[in-house]
Amino acid sequence: MIPADLRYHQEHEWTRVNGTQATVGISHFAQDALGDIVFIDLPKVGASVKAGQQIGEVESTKTTSTIYTPISGTIVKVNAELKDHPEVVNSDPYGQGWMVVIDLANAGEVEKLMTAAQYETFLSSQKKG
Amino acid sequence: MSVGTHIAILGAGPGGYVAAIRAAQLGARVTVIESQALGGVCLNWGCIPSKALLAVVELGEKVKKAGPMGLQVSGPVTYNLPQMVERKNQVVAGLVKGIATLFKAWEIEHIHGMGTIQDRQTVQVKVNDDSSRSVNADAIVIATGSSWPNLPQFPIDGSQILTSQQLLDLQQIPPRLLILGGGVEGCEFASLYSALGTDVTIVELMDRILPLEDEEVSSTMTRELKKRNVNVVTGTTVERLERHGETVTIYLKNGTTLEVQKVLVSVGRGFNSRGIGLEQVGVRTGQRGEILINEQMETSTPGIYAIGDVTGKSMLAHVASAQGKAAVENIMGHRTTIRYDVIPAGIFTLPEIGRVGLTETQAREWANGGEANASVKIGRFRYTALGKAQATGDTTGWCKVIAASSGKILGVHIIGAHAADLIHEAALAMQVGATVVQVADMIHAHPTLAEGFMEAVEDTDARAIHLVRKKIG
Repeated sequence: MIPADLRYHQEHEWTRVNGTQATVGISHFAQDALGDIVFIDLPKVGASVKAGQQIGEVESTKTTSTIYTPISGTIVKVNAELKDHPEVVNSDPYGQGWMVVIDLANAGEVEKLMTAAQYETFLSSQKKG
Repeated sequence: MSVGTHIAILGAGPGGYVAAIRAAQLGARVTVIESQALGGVCLNWGCIPSKALLAVVELGEKVKKAGPMGLQVSGPVTYNLPQMVERKNQVVAGLVKGIATLFKAWEIEHIHGMGTIQDRQTVQVKVNDDSSRSVNADAIVIATGSSWPNLPQFPIDGSQILTSQQLLDLQQIPPRLLILGGGVEGCEFASLYSALGTDVTIVELMDRILPLEDEEVSSTMTRELKKRNVNVVTGTTVERLERHGETVTIYLKNGTTLEVQKVLVSVGRGFNSRGIGLEQVGVRTGQRGEILINEQMETSTPGIYAIGDVTGKSMLAHVASAQGKAAVENIMGHRTTIRYDVIPAGIFTLPEIGRVGLTETQAREWANGGEANASVKIGRFRYTALGKAQATGDTTGWCKVIAASSGKILGVHIIGAHAADLIHEAALAMQVGATVVQVADMIHAHPTLAEGFMEAVEDTDARAIHLVRKKIG
């Protein structure tokens, strides 16, 4: 459940780069830990964001968790479907459960994020901890 | 002073009318001077009418969710606002009549008029029928309350730019409403009107709505309002507004422009301390115009007492009532004071909020500035883990307990169904100085929402049963 073509952030967000833009969502691990997601608060299109900054919140029946952006740039798209169907993030975190598209301010930032293999190691180290 | 004492009370709101009845119980002869309806703002244009309207949308929300629970209702839920307002008026009228009945039973005299203090023993009354009367009394209680804002930049016109009093009597659901001020009143009206289908925007100057509440309450409330499609704008205010025939254009300081049909001005209230003769008897007021009182509710002028909003202590009906009882008990020779550190309060949003004591930030400041080794521990519990909440479908919400390392409860915050009622167990615990262990040791009935408070109390020591303590994400 860790797609090889994505990059990962230590707060469990994933990033898919497509040219000068990147799509961001939360990982399978994150959605599984959160449980049934009931509400997702996302930023507005046009907002400029910095890597590591809080851009929204995910509320599940168990808890409320912060969404951080792994990369800097400008929000160019938000997934409006999630307003009425937040559960899509549970069922398809890497596909229809995407959250925002960011116009990259600094493409180099992506390289600093974990690869799938690194994220897998990171997760197993977390579980032990 | 005792039996035979005559007390004149200016104002019959929740401060004045309660003071009047308590004074009569203690044997005083009481005259209440009030030009408007008995019950004051709270009963006529505040707490009670807004709850009467909110109750309807709460019911509507339940019906909307009823299908999957197995309750078949044909047709969509629609609201008839004129009928809601009519029913609200009946509820209010019934309660006002109730006070009149109590006054009659206790032989309390009610003069319909405006009182001005002439000297320490005399109140001059301009009666509503334009006659005038003089009332002699052994003691005077000022319970004149507070009034709606009238700020030059937001001129209340009663048709487009409204006070909460006017918004309560609206006959048509406006398509778009701007609420200036994200405090208690602003959030309650945002809940009400968003449920009625209005597109609501709240503009709050501070960086969060409900800025006096615990930070987590603010953030949950923000989320709940967003779920209702309320546009929550913080950290800015209205720069100017333009009134057109049917709409008002709002220019925010952050550069945004909005167009709405109605504006609710919900910022600040003024103390009703002017024009009642305070200067003639030397009653001192503070910088904001509030009447200064001592612990017995007595003003700087012996024999003249003040209670409620006009004292600037707390703008809550139940605090006014408590002050009212204390004031007349002191007049009648009993030594009574009240505690301002344990004041439970409800916010009637969707969902409801209950609060008593300190917020987490205040508690941490207390711990840092206070005794050595004082630290704060937090316990939390979510409604969703309660059997009762699951059974009734009220799974949104949580309870948060803030305690000192000694076990003393410093503050409790509840958001969710029946929060304003549930908060009283916490208030009682604080009032009698119960520790978290004592509360946790008390058996709580199952299945109830009150178990949420017990589990949150247990969680301060990481011993809540229905909670797995692990960090997620």
